[in-house]
Amino acid sequence: MSNVLLDVRNLRTEFVTQDGVVHAVNGVTFQVDEGETLGLVGESGSGKSVSMLTVMRLIPMPPGRIPSGEVVFQGQDLLKLSNEEMRQVRGNKVAMVFQDPMTSLNPVLTIGTQITEALELHMGMNKDQARKRAVELLKMVNIPEAERRLDDYPHQFSGGMRQRVMIAMGLSCSPQLLIADEPTTALDVTIQAQITDIVKRLKHELGMAIIWITHDLGVIAGLADRINVMYSGYIVETAHTKELFANPLHPYTVGLLGSIPRLDQGKKEKLTPIEGLPPDLVNLPTGCPFYDRCTFRTQKCLEENPPLMSVGVKHWSACWNYEAVREKRDEILRRTVAQPVAA
Amino acid sequence: MAVTAPALTAPPEIETEPRAAWRETWRRFARNRPALSGLVVIILLFLTALFGPALAPYGYAKTDLDSVNAPPSAKHWLGTDDLGRDMLTRMIYGARSVAFVIVIVATVSLTLGVTMGALAGYFGGATDTFISRLIDVLFAFPELLFIFFIAATIKPALVNNLKAFAQANDLQWLVEFVRSGYADYLVVMLALSVLGWAGLARLVRAQFLSLREKEFVLSAQAVGVPGHKIILRYLLPNAMAPIIVAISMGLGGIAIAEGVLAYLGIGLQPPNPSWGNILADNVGRHWRDWPDMLWLVFIPVIIITTVVLAFNFVGDGLNEALNPEL
Amino acid sequence: MLAYIVRRLLWLPVLLILISLITFALGIYGPGDPVQVMMGLHARPDIIAQVRKEYGLDQPFPVQYWNYMTNALRGNFGYSLVKYQGQRVSDLIAKRLPVTLQLNLVSVCWSLPLAIALGIFAALKRKSWLDVFLRGMVILAVSIPVIGLQPVLTFLFSRKHEIGPMTLGPFLPVGGWGGIFSPQVILPAFILGLGVLAVFTRQTRAAMIDVLNADYVRTARAKGLKEWMVLVRHALRNALIPLVTLIGFVLAGMFAGSFIIESFYGIPGVGQLAYDALISKEYYIIMAFTLMIAVVYVLMNLLIDILYVFVDPRIRYK
Repeated sequence: MSNVLLDVRNLRTEFVTQDGVVHAVNGVTFQVDEGETLGLVGESGSGKSVSMLTVMRLIPMPPGRIPSGEVVFQGQDLLKLSNEEMRQVRGNKVAMVFQDPMTSLNPVLTIGTQITEALELHMGMNKDQARKRAVELLKMVNIPEAERRLDDYPHQFSGGMRQRVMIAMGLSCSPQLLIADEPTTALDVTIQAQITDIVKRLKHELGMAIIWITHDLGVIAGLADRINVMYSGYIVETAHTKELFANPLHPYTVGLLGSIPRLDQGKKEKLTPIEGLPPDLVNLPTGCPFYDRCTFRTQKCLEENPPLMSVGVKHWSACWNYEAVREKRDEILRRTVAQPVAA
Repeated sequence: MAVTAPALTAPPEIETEPRAAWRETWRRFARNRPALSGLVVIILLFLTALFGPALAPYGYAKTDLDSVNAPPSAKHWLGTDDLGRDMLTRMIYGARSVAFVIVIVATVSLTLGVTMGALAGYFGGATDTFISRLIDVLFAFPELLFIFFIAATIKPALVNNLKAFAQANDLQWLVEFVRSGYADYLVVMLALSVLGWAGLARLVRAQFLSLREKEFVLSAQAVGVPGHKIILRYLLPNAMAPIIVAISMGLGGIAIAEGVLAYLGIGLQPPNPSWGNILADNVGRHWRDWPDMLWLVFIPVIIITTVVLAFNFVGDGLNEALNPEL
Repeated sequence: MLAYIVRRLLWLPVLLILISLITFALGIYGPGDPVQVMMGLHARPDIIAQVRKEYGLDQPFPVQYWNYMTNALRGNFGYSLVKYQGQRVSDLIAKRLPVTLQLNLVSVCWSLPLAIALGIFAALKRKSWLDVFLRGMVILAVSIPVIGLQPVLTFLFSRKHEIGPMTLGPFLPVGGWGGIFSPQVILPAFILGLGVLAVFTRQTRAAMIDVLNADYVRTARAKGLKEWMVLVRHALRNALIPLVTLIGFVLAGMFAGSFIIESFYGIPGVGQLAYDALISKEYYIIMAFTLMIAVVYVLMNLLIDILYVFVDPRIRYK
């Protein structure tokens, strides 16, 4: 592909709490190219949201802290910027859309105010220009009667409509990177599809890069170019979307795929949940964090945490036993994984 | 087509023993040093109240005309007032008054408030309307004004009637009781309780209204658990935390009210000592009569403040222990 | 929402009638025979009969209540019988009300803005030494009763020759009323405002902390807004909404405070009038005072509820 837009190196984020230091993100390294869509997959507490909030520098500090790492965006380390410089990046070059549209919009301000304030600030527009642009944006995300709805308050919109407003807000200053933090999780399934379609379309129209955070592999299957799978603050597997679905080489990814229902699956087939709980982020094990829940575990896994290892073409997995995974995964999945599942 | 990942949903919440939950609350409370020291002060207050007459070195009305307005000394640890009465003794007896008022008002308003709130919140309908309107009417009067009004109007009549009744029936102890000034005091406490329950009832009602809709209550109703059991076993335990917080946060206010009313001359009547009327006597109720004997004013002020502070610390501590997300 | 307001408005007259009925019944019949109580036990029977007739107290209760209320609505709350013999209660109150209102206004004007500022500050610097210090001061301020605060502060700050020889301060004159710009107002206004300061600092802090953790504040930050815009436009606007409901509470607290403070400092306001009336058992004054405050209080609370609907769009459209 083309140039690297975002280069995250060895990023760590911790939170100091009464019960000890929570290691939320533990040395994450990845890149996003211009115009690329990256999926970030993992369960609650896997550090996917926290790592992106760290990129945006939206982690409250204290209790949060960033002991190491670089977040190079267009050649600049965002972590080294002053607060004022970072402020000018946020919403302007990098925008973020949050999970819960019900609580992420300010209840006492109109939609219009909330969209235009960023335009006035970053783009130097006056009130009229900003309003016109806001109407365009609302039309872009398919909100009917855009002019009239600008003066409405968030609670007058449905959940799906609010998420469209959030996306319009995120896109308002034409960012190069849009971070979408589980934007469809709080919505009905039909609405989810509408939102992903809108984002897919806008991505082609506007050509920005997207990082789409989700716990649901199914949602990003048709959306992402590449997928990072995260587990307890580590990236455990990364590959192109098709490769990941066809050839998962980390037991956790296999587990995720096993728990997705498929249309082409016979009725008798059961979903296979991943047993057990993720490790305590305060006392991380020295070995592999997935050890307790893993069916492929060996003594080595207990002693040493596997780094990301190249296991194929642009395919990395953090598993000592990826060869064993390759051989036995089909048995576990009890079905052939040939095609990505459509959302 | 439901494309979800069941494996990734949060694990079911771990059911904890209620007793374990209370232990955890206590652990959090005990970590709060102001709250813990507040608790010690409160325990001391009640011990003083309980054993007051045994602890006090003199009689609370005993005058010593040889040492009038005397500064603190070995003989009178906290000095004496303008009638030569021992301040330590009077403060100890004053503690009895505060403790008594707090116990009575808290008990009455807790019982009434929880009962009325529970009835209104659980049964709804006409019961709710009636109780809610009653609360509205009570809330229409600012607290102190209401008590003041009661004290100015019904109190004298009540006390007089009580006295007449006692004399007519030749009840010597009742005559004594009325003459001691404690009857006045009872009326004021009733007024305090009457206001105290209304606030609590509102809280309990709101709690019950929301709890009533919860699944575990609905399922209990569905299998035919009788109403009083639902209230006592299902609703009340779950509404307990806010009730405890509200009560404990209110105790400091009751202590202040006791002092203020006595100060204004409508609470405990002299010569019976209350911290409020000790302060009023010593300050002279008017700035021009300010004495140049500091201990007479500072000692009551410091002690009242310490006790109220203790109640507020405990209230705060309980609030934080029961609502850890704050 | 409109239905809610209409219901409140319909209930208002009922509530007002109930309040007046309670006040009147307790005021007139609570203490026993009102004339006897007012005139004392040794008044001549013929004078008592005459007063009774003059005040319409020989008529049945509903008639008396009706008369009292119709007069009250016309602004006549009866006459003072003892201390200000013959003067209309309404005149007595009207003359003193401005003083009390001004005193309370001064108290709110210094304390409320300061409280909101301190509350925001404490919320932003949460768990810093300043936050801890402010929290301590707030608890201390709500724990010192007014009756203790006034002698202590008077001792510390009032001018030497005005009270006893042992005061420290050369600063402040106290006693009486010299208008809102006179130095006499400082101590009473400080004491009256302290409660407001404490309560609002605490509540603003709590509300701010709540709001600063809200998702929409994170959204505002993610938009790259300037920090003051995030704080003022997004956080503070939401944080102030619940504070509106406290206004009624403050009003009640202030009237209670005026009562004690005005009689302590000799300020000729309604609080002092009411205290004197209590001491000299002037029931018409006490009734008028109670009625006035209860009505104001009820109207105020209604107003707050309606105001709430307007400051919070979520309620407006429900």
